[in-house]
Amino acid sequence: MPDDSNTGAKDARGRLASRLLGGGTEPDPRFTLANERTFLAWIRTSLALLAGGVAVEAFMASLLGPELRKTIAVLLLVLALVIGGGSFFRWLNVERAMRSNSPLPLPLIAPVLAIGGALVAAIMVVFVIARPA
Amino acid sequence: MAMVVAAALFLRWLPHHGWFVGTLVCGAIAAALAINLTQKRRFHRAVRGINRETMPPDLGSTAAVAASVVVLALLGIYTVLFLPLQP
Repeated sequence: MPDDSNTGAKDARGRLASRLLGGGTEPDPRFTLANERTFLAWIRTSLALLAGGVAVEAFMASLLGPELRKTIAVLLLVLALVIGGGSFFRWLNVERAMRSNSPLPLPLIAPVLAIGGALVAAIMVVFVIARPA
Repeated sequence: MAMVVAAALFLRWLPHHGWFVGTLVCGAIAAALAINLTQKRRFHRAVRGINRETMPPDLGSTAAVAASVVVLALLGIYTVLFLPLQP
């Protein structure tokens, strides 16, 4: 790829984008698009958790006590918040790494999602076992 | 589409938590509409980028989508914790 096209693309970026993304060269657009797709997949996960939190609070009133219901709903909503915000920083870090040809960073939101999901599942399992028949 | 589903679920809160949930529904629908209306522009931008083999990342759209999800989650937490259930 000729260098002048990369410079042109760099100029096309806004001031904020230039400051946040730093220097380096534009990566292959397919990689940029793949990074965006991964970001959108995390956003979908975040929205699913958000919907799950709302559903627990709205639909499980007859099954769960108010405190337990509130705890699970808040846990899911906090998880949605962390995943939603974290997905942006993950996208930014991957974009920076691709521009500077450095190794891709570890996705920190993956263990957060795993631990959070396991915690909610564990609470539900304990509730189902402890619930009187 | 996922935003519309989230908005539809927020509707279920409307009778229990009152008018405040209306802002959540409106916010989610507005975000879904904005994404849908700018879809064509983003598609053409991606096509141009592949064609020229260079494409600056779309920081604005990415930040806006992430911010809208974060704000919706924050408002949801506020609703669960601080808005009393209406009979």
